[in-house]
Amino acid sequence: MREFKIWIKYTINSFEQTLYNKMSVVIFLLGKFLRITLFLIFLNFLVQGSKGLAGYSREQIIFFYLSFNLADSAAQLLFREVYRFRELIVSGNFDFVLARPLNPLIRVLLGGADILDLFMLILITFFSIWFAAVSFHPSISQWLFYALMVLNGLLIAAAFHIFVLGIGILTTSIDHLIMVYRDLSSMARIPVDIYIEPIRSLLTFAIPLGIMMTFPPKALMGLLSGQFIAVSIIIGLALLFLSLKFWSYSLKQYQSTSS
Amino acid sequence: MLKYFTIFSLSLQNEFTYRLNFILWRSRNILRFLMTFFLWQGVFYSNRSVFGYSQQDMLTYVFLVLVINTFVLSAPSAENIGGEIARGDLSNYLVKPVNYLKYWFTRDLSSKVLNLAFAVFEISVLALMLRPDIKLPEDLVNLLAFFLASVLAMVIYFLISITAASFAFWRPEDIWGARFFIAILIETFAGGIFPLDILPGFLKIVLQLTPFPYLIYFPIAIILGKITGITLIRILFQSLVWTLLMFFLAKLLWKKGLKSYSAEGK
Repeated sequence: MREFKIWIKYTINSFEQTLYNKMSVVIFLLGKFLRITLFLIFLNFLVQGSKGLAGYSREQIIFFYLSFNLADSAAQLLFREVYRFRELIVSGNFDFVLARPLNPLIRVLLGGADILDLFMLILITFFSIWFAAVSFHPSISQWLFYALMVLNGLLIAAAFHIFVLGIGILTTSIDHLIMVYRDLSSMARIPVDIYIEPIRSLLTFAIPLGIMMTFPPKALMGLLSGQFIAVSIIIGLALLFLSLKFWSYSLKQYQSTSS
Repeated sequence: MLKYFTIFSLSLQNEFTYRLNFILWRSRNILRFLMTFFLWQGVFYSNRSVFGYSQQDMLTYVFLVLVINTFVLSAPSAENIGGEIARGDLSNYLVKPVNYLKYWFTRDLSSKVLNLAFAVFEISVLALMLRPDIKLPEDLVNLLAFFLASVLAMVIYFLISITAASFAFWRPEDIWGARFFIAILIETFAGGIFPLDILPGFLKIVLQLTPFPYLIYFPIAIILGKITGITLIRILFQSLVWTLLMFFLAKLLWKKGLKSYSAEGK
């Protein structure tokens, strides 16, 4: 409970900080909105011109992309602070985080929620729900499985971000790692079934982007069996557990060389 | 001139100092390439021809995007100049006997040389793995025109970066927003994801009135032989006009910006 209150405080501070530059807020939101809209138009145009994509209809492809953006915005909203972690390590300011009577992971993983992504998330969530309801008429259980798979996707995203933090402690020579994750995850803007083997299996299970991004819309469309849902949750929990172990190991290796 | 050779050499050494960082940067380009490659392969799974492109034409296009991206868009200046103005770090350069913009252009060149060398290796590996049916250029005129269009594209991109970075002279706190916005416009309208001639006619004309298609789409369309004869000369001329326009705009903004620069942040 105490941690939750502190997280709320961090979040309010971060929101206030972002909203201070009103023009930046407008430009960023416009940019994000433009990016999503243009890619949606492109996908729509592409699938219309090619009469389907790898067996998926136009509505399905559009929903895969909407769902990708929903999960991506939620992950960015929650874990934005990870993008600033390297600076904290290089400057030596991470020492101050460690000195506080709070789990440092909360500060470096969740301490900088991004209000811009909150705006986008609200917009995309409403649009996705409306689009899915109109296009697929899902049952209550399909909606529930969808929500479950999105939450599981967030667990996997959290695990990825924790791995990035851990590597950030072990080596300071990387400043693109979180962007590599972003590029990797953007491969799931389209369903991972489109990739050839072994890339498809790699993206589904080894780097479980498929579980994160492709499985939720599949669950909503009724294209995912119960077995796959169960395996996905096991993989999600296992990854989170491993990432926390890795974080503990990394913390023990921290030498505070920059301070 | 010698000092810029030294900057070129130091920049190369700098890139090699942070090898892991560089490798990760290159792997990002490959990931983006794979997404586009398989998206198009998925489209051609059930179609022989889409928007007038055969699978061979489209996959060649996607491979060429990787090359031209490396040559045109690998530019550390785009990520650094705005930040240096906003933080007041520009002052450190203004007191040195180097031209700041030439300094960054030289650093960009060294980055392009290194990235291009790696891109050749990556493309060879990807071609071996994916075995795409690639159409190699045959016409020497188009090959020469491609080189010319690529060099102009490289200069246009540098000038766009300076124009965007100049924004930091007046609104230092908003520079990242401006860069993000420009990056999205380039990502969509330069032709990195799809060839722009698949768009409806009026959109193609509107896009020609912006500098973006001259960065990626036109150089590739030239080497693919989609632009020939008088159209080729017109496109090269338009590319040159955009280079000059961007040059004067960047120069004007940079001059005005320097006058209002107050080393804020220092």
